[in-house]
Amino acid sequence: MTEPVRLARHTPVAEAADLLEIGPLVARSDEDLLVAMRRSSAQPATRLIGVVDEAGRLVGVLPILRLAEAVVARVVPESLLADISGVADVARFGHAVEARTVADAMLEPASIRPDATIGEAFRAMHQRRLSGLYVVDPDGRPIGYLDLIELAIAYLDAIEAEQRATDNPAS
Amino acid sequence: MDVAVAATIFVTTYALIATDRIDKTVAALLGGLAMIVLRVIDQETAFHAIDFNVIFLLAGMMALAGTLRRTGFFQWVAIRSVKVAGGDPFRLIVVLSVVAAGLSAFLDNVTTVVLIAPVTLYIAMTLRVSPFPFLVSEILASNIGGTATLIGDPPNILIGSASGLDFAAFLGTMAPAALLVFVAFVVTVRFFFRGALEVHAEVRDAVLALDEREVLTDPRLLRISLVVIGLTIVGFLVHGVLGYEPATIALLGAAALMLVTRSDPAEVLREIEWPTVFFFVGLFMLVEGVVEVGIINAIAAGLFDLTAGDQSITTIGLLWLSGVASAIVDNIPYTAAMIPVVRELGAQGLAVEPLWWSLALGACLGGNATIIGASANVVVANLAGRAGHPITFRGFLPYGLVVVVESLVISSAYLWVRFLR
Repeated sequence: MTEPVRLARHTPVAEAADLLEIGPLVARSDEDLLVAMRRSSAQPATRLIGVVDEAGRLVGVLPILRLAEAVVARVVPESLLADISGVADVARFGHAVEARTVADAMLEPASIRPDATIGEAFRAMHQRRLSGLYVVDPDGRPIGYLDLIELAIAYLDAIEAEQRATDNPAS
Repeated sequence: MDVAVAATIFVTTYALIATDRIDKTVAALLGGLAMIVLRVIDQETAFHAIDFNVIFLLAGMMALAGTLRRTGFFQWVAIRSVKVAGGDPFRLIVVLSVVAAGLSAFLDNVTTVVLIAPVTLYIAMTLRVSPFPFLVSEILASNIGGTATLIGDPPNILIGSASGLDFAAFLGTMAPAALLVFVAFVVTVRFFFRGALEVHAEVRDAVLALDEREVLTDPRLLRISLVVIGLTIVGFLVHGVLGYEPATIALLGAAALMLVTRSDPAEVLREIEWPTVFFFVGLFMLVEGVVEVGIINAIAAGLFDLTAGDQSITTIGLLWLSGVASAIVDNIPYTAAMIPVVRELGAQGLAVEPLWWSLALGACLGGNATIIGASANVVVANLAGRAGHPITFRGFLPYGLVVVVESLVISSAYLWVRFLR
């Protein structure tokens, strides 16, 4: 049985990303949504697509749910129409029904440096209401991916393991 | 001294509201409170000036419209109208404009246009045409429709409460004017957008694919809401005869809706736009300050001299002044400031009823001139921009100006025929 890796809120993001072993899933901003969708189905563990420009720099992110919303908007727009109650919902609906490329549906980029801490990563994901975050190099190119759920599970596992070790120091 | 202080507070506050330098509710509240703090008026006078008939009428109607909004009703009506119109873009514009105008006559303009807009965006996308002509038409129609009734637009609510003219009087005078303006508007829209509405035959049927039943989130709440709102409107029609104020009817409707639907009052009352309510509170206190020190009397006397006390010139002049002013500044503070002026003109011997109607028509219809002229305009421009179809100030202006000029010409003729001949 492998020794659980120690994770704490000050653990560098680079270490956590290596531990999770979930690769980045990048798409070009001019890519068709359908192509991006096929790509994401082949890599389901990555719940946030990183959108890059021609130079490979992160220019946006596209949550899988938002990608699905664009499909729902074309097939059964009524289900999205029923949820609308304000200006922000209308804008979101407008984007969803008209989105054809990744750029049409993407959100502002969400990234973190490799030397930032896990605590900072959790805070960034919470603030942006995103299920993942891209680890980028100094030029803004994706070099890793942090998934909220997987990171949370790994973090909780680490706490439990530490707790067990404290409770049973002899074992 | 008080006159200079009151005038400075008033002008500064209105400048802040007009330029959007700070939030308009904060500006109005600070302006109203400054009148108390700087001892232009005392707190008792300021609070006494707050017209609770206006406040509670607004709050009651917001609660009713907010509840109806949660049922999917607006989207349902929009989809049904699309099906009635078929795939012809001009017929779609006309039908959606009728819906926007009709709903805005009884419910909040902003709620109406915001909830018709997504269906509009979808239809335009399906027909592969720009949503601009549809959204612009809905803005213009909504403001025209709101002109028709006492509860259709905030300036009318203010005027109704101040003048004592009841809902039936508004309906009998404002609705025919609004109808004439609307007919002219439809003809004008045809000229505005005839080149932009070419649609390929194969996409026309695609707009009929939407299923309106699927947007209804709570059919039971919808049925009850419609019955209660219907009864509330009947209540408005007879409130004058029964001797009740409109606010009593609106609050009764909101309370009855909460009772019948067993809704959580906290949830229903959250639908009230409290910033708008407090905007009115601030304005009432602010305007009372300039009334108390005699500024309004002086303005009214100046206007009376300017028009030589001629009823026709004053009435038509007030209409155009209100139309131009409401195109530039928010029509709510404009109306709040002009109400005591009209009252004073009446005290100086002019027949006051035509003046109330000219103020109401000018303030409501003038809001169509620019994209910042009324709340519905600003909100639709905002959502259209965020959805990737910006409606700019310059883009809107030619359409708004033409519609306002024709609206004011029609209103002038209407007022002359009904009151000034």
